[in-house]
Amino acid sequence: MPYKLSEDQQDCLQELINVAMGQASDQLARYLDSFIYLTVPDITLVNGQTLSHELVSNETSMAVVSQGFFGYEGIRGEALLVYQHKDSNRIGDLLGYEPDELSIEEQLIDISSILTTTFLNVFASEIDNQLSYSAPKLLTGSEGTLSTHLTQLSFDWDTALTVNINYQVKDYSFNCEMILLIPEVAIANIKTVLDRVLANFE
Amino acid sequence: MSSSVLICDDSNLARKQVLRSLPEHWHVDAQLAKNGLEALSLLRTDNFDVMFLDLTMPELDGVGVLEALQQENISLPVFVISADIQPEMQKKVLDLGAKAFIRKPIDADTLLTQLQAFGIL
Repeated sequence: MPYKLSEDQQDCLQELINVAMGQASDQLARYLDSFIYLTVPDITLVNGQTLSHELVSNETSMAVVSQGFFGYEGIRGEALLVYQHKDSNRIGDLLGYEPDELSIEEQLIDISSILTTTFLNVFASEIDNQLSYSAPKLLTGSEGTLSTHLTQLSFDWDTALTVNINYQVKDYSFNCEMILLIPEVAIANIKTVLDRVLANFE
Repeated sequence: MSSSVLICDDSNLARKQVLRSLPEHWHVDAQLAKNGLEALSLLRTDNFDVMFLDLTMPELDGVGVLEALQQENISLPVFVISADIQPEMQKKVLDLGAKAFIRKPIDADTLLTQLQAFGIL
């Protein structure tokens, strides 16, 4: 499979993700005045249709904030922050907002923005890149919203590299999943960047 | 005479980064472990002068290694090298007996300073 990462590339990407995830979780922990449990990120090459089906099959039970990113050397993709509805209702408490001070939708975009931009800025800095972002878009949990959004993205999703990161907040049983989607067209570019990083250690 | 060093990290790249960051004049005999279980297995059979330990790992994480070291009365200087930089985590590993917390990505100057601060060099 031409898009498959070599063992060294996979290891390199995982370590870069690990560092970015650590800094993003530190920001989130400070913002929430709590502690974030981290697990090893999962990096997988998937069929885009399968991915879409898996996400869409659960879309009515979750809220998703989606934000595109793009940088030099053809690095691009979409960051999805996935929240279960039962958790999204707790975010106001976590953030210390008074009832009705800010809508749940605005709170979700707030917290997603911290995670996505902190994570991706650190990642970009590690690969000597600079990323720009599209405006975050909240996809409400009504049927068809997520699938329509994924379809509208101008990527070819036949194959996608996905990075799954789980942020679990202590005490509140609050869970948020970050899914980075790297479209087929950008996978070769990511591999080139990873090879450059690896070459520094040969 | 060389020092016996154990580097425990699930990432091959991270293990290389630690090896490359060791002071040039420090003669070491380095062994590598890919997770906490491998590290504990080596620690139970061999004597090491110092260990560099990652936290977020499969099988057994770095906190689990530190707890096991306490339970099994295995004593050696441990330097945690991790991307999980939350203050609560840093305090936790120091409470569990780690000498110091060093944030990833590691740099040679920081490592040298810490090794000197704790009398390893």
